[in-house]
Amino acid sequence: MNSEYLYFEDVELGDDIGPITKIVNDEQVLEFVSLRNPDPTPSRFTSEESAKEEGLPGAIVPGAMNIALMSQILTGWSPSVCMKKIDVVFRQMVPHNQPLSLTGIITDKDESGKTTDLECDVVMENSEGVKLVIGHAEFALPKKP
Amino acid sequence: MTTDEGIVYDRSLLGIEHPVGTFTVTKDMITGFARSTGETDDIYLGTKDSLNEVVAPPTICNIFVNGVSRPDIKLEFGDLSFFAGQSIECKAYVKPGDILKAATKLDNVYAKTGRSGKMVFAVWQTTFTNQNGEIVALVNESFVRRNRSK
Repeated sequence: MNSEYLYFEDVELGDDIGPITKIVNDEQVLEFVSLRNPDPTPSRFTSEESAKEEGLPGAIVPGAMNIALMSQILTGWSPSVCMKKIDVVFRQMVPHNQPLSLTGIITDKDESGKTTDLECDVVMENSEGVKLVIGHAEFALPKKP
Repeated sequence: MTTDEGIVYDRSLLGIEHPVGTFTVTKDMITGFARSTGETDDIYLGTKDSLNEVVAPPTICNIFVNGVSRPDIKLEFGDLSFFAGQSIECKAYVKPGDILKAATKLDNVYAKTGRSGKMVFAVWQTTFTNQNGEIVALVNESFVRRNRSK
């Protein structure tokens, strides 16, 4: 993943972002859900048993955590990214302990000279290429001095 | 096609703000959020020996939205609900020591018809305002109700 300081002028329509690969493990999910409640009760997010009781194949990653992962497609791309908005649709359950591929593609660039805003589509896929989370993000990059 | 015609729900709730609570953001909360979501940037993790202050990753307000209790909109449709999507508008940085006040409102209710039939979406918008009266984030959550497949 590129982590160099990017400027607005460095990016063109159709540029790819990523991929980055992440695996969310049980401990990470437990730490995440414990941020609000230090002693969480077992749930579909933290317990295989609870998830299976709800008819799921296993414990899943919370939606709030998935949007944080999706935002890292941009924030991990360059320290100069200023995230403005991210919008996601949850299409499939995201499992623990499985490789997740996160990618983006630049879909819009404000060429009017009024802003340095850009837009991109973002996708999270599993190892079989199934789209688990899709979305769109708006961000800005600084102009070259 | 999108419409809200014929959807039965408590329309008096539309646009009415309901306080959710006040939350103090700590450095531990920010670094815990960053660590658990696999962030690698020192500005979120607070691991760099520098004078830069830790700031929160852009979606941090989500941890306060999770589990918020909202009024029942008494939607008379469907028997299956799920969380369909979410958007976060980042308006300002969130830092350790910030005190965020959150309020939520029913922003929109609409129907769409797709291959699997009619679905009704309820969109709730939660606004986070810091101790200086500055809006730091707008979180929109979309919940869908539909009928189970026969």
